[in-house]
Amino acid sequence: MGNEAAAMAQGAEQSGEIIHYAATEIAPGIVINMQTMYMTWIAMAIVFVLFFIVSRNPKMVPSGLQNVMEMFIDFLDGMMNQNLGEKGRKYMASFIITLFMFILVSNEIGMLPQVGVHWTSPTNDINTCFALSLLIALSAYIVGVIRQGIGHFKHFVSPSKAFLPLHILDAITKPLTMALRLFGNILAGEILLIVLYQLSPWIIPEFWVMFSLFIGFVQAFIFTILALGSYALAFSEH
Amino acid sequence: MVDINATLIAQVLNFLFLVFILAKFAYKPIINMMDERKNKIASDLENAEMAKAEAEKLKAEYAAQLAAVRQEAQSIIENARKTAQSVHDKIIAETKEEQEQIVASAKDAILLEKQQALGEVRAQVIKLSLVAAGKILEQKLNSAEDEKLAGSVVDKIMK
Repeated sequence: MGNEAAAMAQGAEQSGEIIHYAATEIAPGIVINMQTMYMTWIAMAIVFVLFFIVSRNPKMVPSGLQNVMEMFIDFLDGMMNQNLGEKGRKYMASFIITLFMFILVSNEIGMLPQVGVHWTSPTNDINTCFALSLLIALSAYIVGVIRQGIGHFKHFVSPSKAFLPLHILDAITKPLTMALRLFGNILAGEILLIVLYQLSPWIIPEFWVMFSLFIGFVQAFIFTILALGSYALAFSEH
Repeated sequence: MVDINATLIAQVLNFLFLVFILAKFAYKPIINMMDERKNKIASDLENAEMAKAEAEKLKAEYAAQLAAVRQEAQSIIENARKTAQSVHDKIIAETKEEQEQIVASAKDAILLEKQQALGEVRAQVIKLSLVAAGKILEQKLNSAEDEKLAGSVVDKIMK
């Protein structure tokens, strides 16, 4: 695997960048990062297959994969109950569980051995991270307006009108920081892995892979927690 | 490296698609099963608690019954003992009375017999003495006055 990574890095050096997105103009003026697309589809397929297998025949006494998936669902349920309340949990469960699992799988597939397929994380693309964080920010406003009417925006002027600039700043920086945090962590992990393979083909990069797997989980967790924070306002009673 | 392009839109659509198909095909059975299990465990625990309370109640009931039965048995034994004692006392008293009665009537009978015997002996002695006196005197001593005389003599002797 060191050879492929080295070859890939060589190619990257020639083209002036270390990570390839395979940006392709599929139609005039519309550029799509195909590498990100393929990896996103793979991640989506993995998440779907994991849940689909379990959902076909859920057992009263869980075992194996069902246990693992239920552990994730239960873990997220607990967080949703805390942040959104019982009603909010029922409303948002599908979205939040999918969000966490998708980011988790996305983060981890970039750490797979580079054998045959050039594995990257879809989350190493700023587009993916912004897509998710903007989707969360906008849908939080939409859910808030659906549930509370236009009064949802009252939290922008609480406790007084003087706080309006701060709230606007918060509304802008929240999706920005969420996206950049995820993007930076995952991209840096992959770049450092490539660099480590060039420095030492064995052993040391494996430690970094282990650490990156852990970072992948932590970032998925942080992103989900922050998303819940955004939705919490839409479900708070005020 | 940080080119924002149409990928952003595509990723939003990808993600919404994933949410949609998972919500439609996968989550419901899993979450239903989890809820069902949660309810089952809760109801099982509740049933166990109820069964335990029931058992506890039955146990207390049985203990109370056992105590009552024991007390009753005790009182029955006590009664029986009292009855036996009184019957025993009564029998003893009756026997004593009867015994005394028998002894008294026996004493009476003996006294009567003794008197009778004494009377008979006296009559015989009178006759004998008269016969003997007649023989001795060779006289007729058959009159009532003679008999009376003889009787007084006998009486004096016998005393």
